[in-house]
Amino acid sequence: MTLRTSKQVGEWVNRNKKIGFTFEGEVFTAFEGDTISSALWAADQKVLGRSFKYHRPRGVLSLANHDVNVLVTDGADTNIRADVVEVKEGMVLTAVNTTGGVKKDKSSYIDSISPLLPVGFYYKAFHTPRRLFPFWEKVIRNAAGLGVVNFNYPRILKRKQHSHCDVLIIGAGPTGLAAAYEAAQAGLEVTIVDENRQGGGSLTYDRGGDSTATKQLGDLLIKVSNQANIRMLTGTYAAGYYPDHLIPVVSESGINKVRAKTVIVASGAFEQPPVFRYNDLPGVMLGSAAQRLIYRYGVKPFNNGIVVTANDYGYRVALDLLEAGTKVVAVVDLRKGTNTSAAAITLAKRGIKIFAGYCVYEALASSDKSSVRGAVLCEYDNVANVALTKNKMTLECDGIAMSAGWAPAAALLYQAGTGMQFDNSVQQFVPSRLPDGMFAAGKVNGIFDFEQRLKDGKRAANEALRYLGLEAPQITVERHVGQSSDLSCPSHPYPMVPHEKGKNFVDFDEDIQIKDFVNAAKEGFDNIELMKRFTTVGMGPSQGKHSNMNAIRILARIRNMPVEKIGTTTSRPFFHPTPIGHLGGRGFHAHRLTSLHDWHQANGAVFTDIGAWKRAAYYPAAGQTKEQAIQTEAMAVRTAAGIIDGSSFGKIEIHGPDAAEFLERFFTGSYKTQKVGRCRYVMLLDDSGVIADDGIASRLADDLFYLSIGTSNAAAVYREMQRSQQMWQLNIGLVNVTGAFGAINIAGPSARAILSALTDLDLSYEAFPISSVRESHVAGVEARLIRVAFVSDVGYEMHIPMAQVPHVWNALLEAGKQHGLRPFGSDTQRLLRLEMGHPMPGVDTDGLTNPFEIGADWAIEMDKAYFIGQRSLQILAKRPLRKQLVPFVLAENFNGEMPMDCNLVVDGRAILGRVTSISYSKFINRCIGFAYVSPAKTAVGSTFEIRTDSGTLVKATVAAAPFIQNQKGA
Amino acid sequence: MQVSNMKTISQTSPVAHAQLKSNAKWALVNGINTAVEFAGAAVEQARKKILGVTDVSCLSRYGVKGAQAAKWLADRQVTTPGNPNSWSVSDQNTLVMRLGGSEFLLEDQFAGSTCARLASDTNRVPNVYKVPRADAAFILSGSEVLNMLSELCSLDLREKSLGAEEVIMTQIAGISATVLRQDLNGEQVYRVWCDGTYGPYMWDVMLEIAVELGGGAVGLACYQS
Repeated sequence: MTLRTSKQVGEWVNRNKKIGFTFEGEVFTAFEGDTISSALWAADQKVLGRSFKYHRPRGVLSLANHDVNVLVTDGADTNIRADVVEVKEGMVLTAVNTTGGVKKDKSSYIDSISPLLPVGFYYKAFHTPRRLFPFWEKVIRNAAGLGVVNFNYPRILKRKQHSHCDVLIIGAGPTGLAAAYEAAQAGLEVTIVDENRQGGGSLTYDRGGDSTATKQLGDLLIKVSNQANIRMLTGTYAAGYYPDHLIPVVSESGINKVRAKTVIVASGAFEQPPVFRYNDLPGVMLGSAAQRLIYRYGVKPFNNGIVVTANDYGYRVALDLLEAGTKVVAVVDLRKGTNTSAAAITLAKRGIKIFAGYCVYEALASSDKSSVRGAVLCEYDNVANVALTKNKMTLECDGIAMSAGWAPAAALLYQAGTGMQFDNSVQQFVPSRLPDGMFAAGKVNGIFDFEQRLKDGKRAANEALRYLGLEAPQITVERHVGQSSDLSCPSHPYPMVPHEKGKNFVDFDEDIQIKDFVNAAKEGFDNIELMKRFTTVGMGPSQGKHSNMNAIRILARIRNMPVEKIGTTTSRPFFHPTPIGHLGGRGFHAHRLTSLHDWHQANGAVFTDIGAWKRAAYYPAAGQTKEQAIQTEAMAVRTAAGIIDGSSFGKIEIHGPDAAEFLERFFTGSYKTQKVGRCRYVMLLDDSGVIADDGIASRLADDLFYLSIGTSNAAAVYREMQRSQQMWQLNIGLVNVTGAFGAINIAGPSARAILSALTDLDLSYEAFPISSVRESHVAGVEARLIRVAFVSDVGYEMHIPMAQVPHVWNALLEAGKQHGLRPFGSDTQRLLRLEMGHPMPGVDTDGLTNPFEIGADWAIEMDKAYFIGQRSLQILAKRPLRKQLVPFVLAENFNGEMPMDCNLVVDGRAILGRVTSISYSKFINRCIGFAYVSPAKTAVGSTFEIRTDSGTLVKATVAAAPFIQNQKGA
Repeated sequence: MQVSNMKTISQTSPVAHAQLKSNAKWALVNGINTAVEFAGAAVEQARKKILGVTDVSCLSRYGVKGAQAAKWLADRQVTTPGNPNSWSVSDQNTLVMRLGGSEFLLEDQFAGSTCARLASDTNRVPNVYKVPRADAAFILSGSEVLNMLSELCSLDLREKSLGAEEVIMTQIAGISATVLRQDLNGEQVYRVWCDGTYGPYMWDVMLEIAVELGGGAVGLACYQS
């Protein structure tokens, strides 16, 4: 049987093009433009999905992405929202979350044991006995989730772009279109987005049985399309609000981050379902869903239907059903009294039975529970909000359309910080205080009358114009006035029908019923945020679009409070779940290469990421392991010489008469007394006294320091310097030369001999001692040479223009051939500095380590007037140390399980500290390292235990650093 | 001691690492080994019209900052832009960019010598600080250039927002960059400068998008004639 109607004016399907696809193994035919759900519904397929928790059969609810009754898998792609995704030729679709298919889902037995699975049961049920937890965990993990993640999903690039406009309008319904036209007429550059495939909003489906809306829509769209300064993006949703009017809009092709000068939110409202027993059966749908089926896709929702309503909208739905050829068995209105709206009068004239003051007490399911066979009606007590069950009656039908009211699509308004208040006259939260440059219009603003919505769009546009400094007239919009009891109120204050047997669903994503809220409140979760988390209402993929408002009303009733006192839950981006591929975009992974990168690559380097840099970590020979390569390189430095590409070091010049004063304030040490040509250690703290970085300051002139610091933090240190200078306003100039200068460090007993072949600088110890700096030439290139003893007590760091580093590097290698010079990488550097007994910030310290804990008291000039972190150190100095970094060795010839970085230092069950660095040193033939221990264990010769990954305890002994002897004349 | 002749020290464009995998023709320009041609002239001209990416890192540059930097340049007959974050052209067609209020970046054309002249003045002057430059520099051309930049930069770089004499310091593909719009031989192009160590990354990112949009790599030769 087909439910396809005759051709509808303005329908979105192309009846001239047929599309073939399968669903659950059956072959179906659709028209081009059909969504998956509309095509299946047209073919009289009622069970399109299974609910998440109880595996109840589900059909169409909103047909608008406001629920996830119908999620399907198509090959590699899963969790496709069938209500809004167009069906494509050849799709092979299956419903998610079923065991054995959507029609005969073996997991549907869960529905029959649902009384055993009350809300929140899994928070409490599986803690004891503890031994069974792994079993339950497995069961729950298997049951959790909807579609199955496909780890072989192809990477399909979704671009993330930026765009700009004067005004961004969210929602291309009549309000948004009116606003766009008004703004464009004034010359503004307008972008208007709508999640639907075509613009027009409710005008594309809400017709109330006549063709006026079609003409209105046509007129509006023509006006808008004639404006060259309007860019309309359909099939695109505004996903979130970020400061300064940054709004990512998401489409199939990617994300466009729109930066707008002003924003008009004309996003409309979500229709809310009334709550009665079995309101989730396939065939029970929102009135607007029925209208969408009819007018967008030419599909009849059902043949003999009931409309249950609590507002006048339901009467318009009934008229549209009649237009589609559906026999309307009755209109059941929760409200008492005679309805004098035009739609009600028309219906009465057409002989439609209207039950005012009645409710659907329950929908009756067919024998296989796959569809509706009737409805039980009762009188409804509109004060107590209960069904009066004395005089039940049953009406036969195969479908029910529901209209009870609306919830504003205000997610972006909330995210922007809009103050919202509950307007009793429309029974809706409406904006009361909008952020600068934000405007709301239409249904989201509590305006429901069509003409007033158009006017409200113009009003918002004019307010936006005035915000931008342009002249525009004031427009007054008539707001709805009256009480919630008025028949004209668009939303019912409490459209709930309690039932002793439950299954009256509030949240269709999570199968949450009225009784679940009652139970949650009894458990003490009677605050809306707590109730949300306990019941999980609004936490499903629909994010509360069809459920949050009803949940708030129920909680208000439970607590006997007005709705506005209950408040709303927090709205966070994104508005709809957005694929990770969209969020990832192209994936920019910025990285820096030194000018020696090609040389490293050609010579077999293994690279490692340090900060933004790709650094050569080590150079394994054929067949060598990483460990062997590192030991070989380290031995070369200890016995001959090695060179390392240090171009990634941070390098900053501090110019000016106040340069020394700047360093005194910025670092812990003393620099005013530093002589030209000398270097001093620098240590940077944060305000809490934690070590941030360290390095060397070389004084090149009275008014010029050259700072070399670690690789990872260079950019952050420079930023902090600039920030500090903004505050201190000293007479200095900061120049970041990190990328302009490269650096090479040559180290080892033969370093001096090799380097002397390339420079006329006197490299003798007396002329160029440790911690001094010289400006000279190396291999003909201008260089700053610094005597450092980081990896060896004979070491020279050469800082030269980046482009000329390869020339100097090659010259050094050539000159060092006869001395056994070889390159070493950053991993080897870590072993070498460990042998030298130098802790490294970020390796041997963490985000809580202060200088006293690493024994760096010597680097602090506490008597200075000021330095960053000084005040915190003064406080810390008065407190006893809780841990201290010590050098240690393992037993000679240790051959047990090697401890790793971060293994714990323990004393029985007590944790005393952790290992920060550990390595075997071939040169020393010993395992050496750094570890934090309790202050009582710091004396040389003290022992402590390290617990390895497997739990083995390894004995370590505190040693003296450096682990190697200084070389004579170094 | 070995002494090298500075003129014989070979230098390579900081972008070169990313271009090695291409079949480019290389030539020394300003003493820097540079990719001058990636495909035939007709192909490159076609790319240039849609979206061309050209490495012009080899052009000579000079950087200076400090409270007296503008005066120091003026004393050396370099005309500087009057407003912060703007650019102008000095004698010999040298591009002079004022980055913020008191920092300047100069770039010579192929035959220009202003930068070399300024660099030869090594006297240190109070409140004038030389800023060593090792930029990767690019010319972006063609009808799709804004399409590409919309993916790389969050700022509005359209003509209506980025003034003809404005220079902006922003983030391109997540790294700090300097950008301006320029008429070059009657063609509107965008110029981008970033730290040279990011050059290969920047080239790869821009070229990936350019190729997707129908453009591609354009050799320096296209701009040398």
